[in-house]
Amino acid sequence: MLKLTRRTFLKASAGTTAAAVAAPSMLRAMEADLGGRDIDPVSLIERKSIPTNCHVCNIQDGALAFVENGRVVKLEGNPEHVSTRGRLCAKGNAGMWYSYDPDRILYPLKRVGKRGEGKWKRISWDEAYNEIAARLDDVLTNGHPNEIMLKWGRNRTGGVLERFMHTLGSATILNHTSVCESSKKIGMEPTWGPDIEMPDFANTKYVLNFGSNVLEAAYFHNPFSQRVTEGRVDSNMKIVTFDVRLSNTAGFSDEWIPVYPGTDGAVALALGHVILRENLQDSDFIENWTNVSVQELKDHYKQFTPEWAAKLSGVPVETIERIAREFATTKPATTYTYRGPAKHMYGSYNEKACMMLPIMTGNIEKRGGYCLPRGMGYDQPQPQPPKPATPSYLAHPDEYPLAGHKVSHLVPFWITEGKQKIKVYFSYQDNPVYTNPGADAVWGELFRNEELIPFYVCLSPFMGEEAQLADIILPDVPYLERWEPESMPSSLWPWLAIRQPVIKPLGEGKETRVYLQELIHKLDPDGSRGMKKFWGFKSAEDYLRKQFENIPGLKEAGGLDFLKKHGVWPIYGKLNPRTGKISDKSGREIAAEYGLYRKELSAADMAGAMVDGKGAIHKNGKVIGVQRKGRNYVGFPTHDRLINVRVDQWAEYGFNPMPTFKRMPWHENMKDDEMILTTFKLNVHKQSRTAAVKWLAEISHANPAWLGTETAAKLGIKTGDLIRIESGVGHIVTKALVTEGIHPKVIAVSTAHGHWGYGRLAQLKLKEAAGQYGAADDPDLKNVWWDDKGVHPNHIIPAVADPIGGSQGWYDTVVKVSKAQPGDKYGDMVADWNKHVQWYKEGMRYTYVGDMHRKMHPEMASWAGPDSVKHKATGGH
Amino acid sequence: MSDLFTIPLEIVRQEAVAPAACTAEEYAARAHYYRLLAGAFIEEPGRDYLAALRTPESLEALAELGVTFDNDFIDPTPDELQETLACEYTVLFASSGGFPPVESVRLKGGFQQDPCFAAREFYAKEGFSVGAGRFQVFDDQLGVELQFIAALMDRIVIAMQRGDNQEQRRLEKSVKRFWAQHLGRWVRGYAALVERAASHSFYRETAMLLDAFAAFELELLGLDVTDEDQGRMELPPLAGADEPMRCGA
Repeated sequence: MLKLTRRTFLKASAGTTAAAVAAPSMLRAMEADLGGRDIDPVSLIERKSIPTNCHVCNIQDGALAFVENGRVVKLEGNPEHVSTRGRLCAKGNAGMWYSYDPDRILYPLKRVGKRGEGKWKRISWDEAYNEIAARLDDVLTNGHPNEIMLKWGRNRTGGVLERFMHTLGSATILNHTSVCESSKKIGMEPTWGPDIEMPDFANTKYVLNFGSNVLEAAYFHNPFSQRVTEGRVDSNMKIVTFDVRLSNTAGFSDEWIPVYPGTDGAVALALGHVILRENLQDSDFIENWTNVSVQELKDHYKQFTPEWAAKLSGVPVETIERIAREFATTKPATTYTYRGPAKHMYGSYNEKACMMLPIMTGNIEKRGGYCLPRGMGYDQPQPQPPKPATPSYLAHPDEYPLAGHKVSHLVPFWITEGKQKIKVYFSYQDNPVYTNPGADAVWGELFRNEELIPFYVCLSPFMGEEAQLADIILPDVPYLERWEPESMPSSLWPWLAIRQPVIKPLGEGKETRVYLQELIHKLDPDGSRGMKKFWGFKSAEDYLRKQFENIPGLKEAGGLDFLKKHGVWPIYGKLNPRTGKISDKSGREIAAEYGLYRKELSAADMAGAMVDGKGAIHKNGKVIGVQRKGRNYVGFPTHDRLINVRVDQWAEYGFNPMPTFKRMPWHENMKDDEMILTTFKLNVHKQSRTAAVKWLAEISHANPAWLGTETAAKLGIKTGDLIRIESGVGHIVTKALVTEGIHPKVIAVSTAHGHWGYGRLAQLKLKEAAGQYGAADDPDLKNVWWDDKGVHPNHIIPAVADPIGGSQGWYDTVVKVSKAQPGDKYGDMVADWNKHVQWYKEGMRYTYVGDMHRKMHPEMASWAGPDSVKHKATGGH
Repeated sequence: MSDLFTIPLEIVRQEAVAPAACTAEEYAARAHYYRLLAGAFIEEPGRDYLAALRTPESLEALAELGVTFDNDFIDPTPDELQETLACEYTVLFASSGGFPPVESVRLKGGFQQDPCFAAREFYAKEGFSVGAGRFQVFDDQLGVELQFIAALMDRIVIAMQRGDNQEQRRLEKSVKRFWAQHLGRWVRGYAALVERAASHSFYRETAMLLDAFAAFELELLGLDVTDEDQGRMELPPLAGADEPMRCGA
């Protein structure tokens, strides 16, 4: 008979732990439920749940809106969404306050005073269309459609803005990407095809994180945060973060290594040096799947010694050596980067240097490794307007031929220089007067100048620093009131989704695709100008139906009707809310697909194909794959289907085609009292449109400047002291936050605060004349207990661009920090247009046609000069 | 919890008090004032409305009440006045940084909150719905709420003419309840805010009239409703409010 003693009982317990853990559990804590239902706590009536997609920031999380008595009362994550798995961040939870914002613009407004004077007249949509159409007509009649410019900040319209501009025949389409992540994209695209990576955090063992605050703010914050946590808990993952600041991600990491700003690339190259020197690379992968040999790589990396990198970055030699060995010998491993390496004048080089680490260690497209992004596309309603015949200088400036994502933040200087004339300017969800370098001193200066911008139409539901300078404001609607298609490569499981109206537009707000259609119809009422045919849809919903009606798989599932019901269509199976995994119909987990580049071409693909001596498979004038060991693989989405460690196109313009590092010229000889200013985002704010959201404003409403303890002691500064931060273009006066959590040569100021034209809560006009809402019944607005709205740093950050990727060098600004001077007062933001112009001109010297280009690239001495290449249109979006 | 439960008990008690008796003529006159005031706030004043208001008889009648417009209302041509007031209306009521005449905004801090739906429900029970004028309006917009009371008073007059006492009493109770649940809670404080913030005498004087009329009506209805809108008490001076918003020292 079985007999348990205390000793055998405990021993058996220890020995059977794994089995106990693996046994299926049916009992669950209710708070672990992913949600999906919500009950009114008073009436106990279940609230109506409508699936949609969040659009507070650009991660595009799946969301559910709970509607009660016609009002959105709560938002939460959509438990069917395979990437975001029932979770929304703080910003997403607060999203409904956009719709109900008392400062929201609900009617078309026409300026009646001077620009920026704040005097408006409410006009009807028809009056607005007539005014705008007359201006457009004038430009079109004169035959210069490129004089119509549209610049967007956040465009999730699914092609509507491009359709509008192409209908008008204008190529002057600008975006915000150069202030966002363009040099990350340009560092990656020519190397392996896509513009972003998909680290398999959940299954990795080791992460080298360069300058990404993924647990708070980076692409794709919500889904990636979940996987980072899974990796830590389920895979015992180690994470090492290089960052100038102890972000919450750095704090979560096993190691935070403060690195001198802009030198991540040097560290990455030195890590590569150690890996190659010690023969820790994956030679098979390099030889088969890149366009260089192991020996070429070893020879090239010899120059990047740990001693060299240590001197530049401040990271000790032994740390570099140790981490290189750890990274190369721990499998699987991945890197992840965001703005830290990329937002510098040579950010593209930095990004490339970082991505070389998973490439040389063969961690590409492996479980737990550095994977290609998985996205899905959708259709465009037919017919589509043709692309404009004449290129736009502003959209593709000659000096930046490689910047496929544009260099939009330099546009004010180019318009001022007369490089391209603009007669009608549209902005869409874009507030460059706040978000761009130079802020009001640059973009405000442009918009106030009616000679340079004779007519400015702002498409926005909110007043902002940009909108207040417009001639006409058209009341677009916030995201809970609109139709839009969505797809983001935010996990290893691709998905398609929609944003659908959960309430009707308030006031006379209209969706983008609706009012642009009406405007085009105004311009071309009878179709004789050939415009109307591109805008033949019956409604915004009808437009989306056309975008989704022919997607294989989705079509059979019900197309748009499926999406209206579920919000999201995952291509594989569906999310099991019990496990958070993707399951098939029988409940079994569907594993993510890895090794996409090793997919074999079919016999049909190979029919008529030819394989050259290097294994490249050619068909119809294109390389469609790579043959290796007798097998025909699809390879990587590059021109030769290989990872291009050597980017020949860069060499054409005198840039180093191999991984390299260039130090910021103005960081070379910094004086002892000079520091580098960097900015960052907080987890409850995006760039320019959250400071007036009451829940988020209460959590974070001010942004003191982070300053190192040692540095502050030298300057005699304590936490709370008023300080002056002075750059080459101006100064701000703010408060200090003294902390150990920052590199001693860095001062860091978060963005999102310090508004002067957006929302009374963001400006704290609640406490000023005519700024009050009564809001007697609102416990939040009755309790605005803070009186500090923060100070915006962008005024004093000069506009400089990466000569390759076009990125703004956000983290390059040299400043002097001192105690506030007599006469300084908190919130001073003083900047000078002429000084900004000088800095812009200085930056242009580093372009491939500039006089500093050769000096920065002595290794490219054999380059034949700018006249040897012709400007070519580049890709990107 | 609905707004009904937030009404002070004193008001509910006063529901039992019989309203001051009014004649049909008086109800018609009160409805007239509601409409007059609604015309100022529901949207930009129209040409006909302004022309009627600027007749000597009208100005004289208003002056007797203490409403005296400045020359900015008297002197301009009809077109000029309409244009000026359209701009003033937009800045005060229909663009960012202003103070929309909307109960949800005043009491809840956002558009289309509970008062909007409660007002809509109230209208529906009486057989009304809100359409659009030149522009879409919220159900709890000041002008709409005033027009609703005017419409109820029209019906009271009809009921009185028919001798339908029961319907008259029911409608009078509805008027009283709507004031207790909606207008009474915000309109006086809001009127004081407009009076102080307006730069044109038209809005200053009509806001003053609204404030006085609201007090008059509450007294007539026998209601003692607390003005929850804080505009009356806390409005600071308006220095610099119309200066362009600029950054920098």
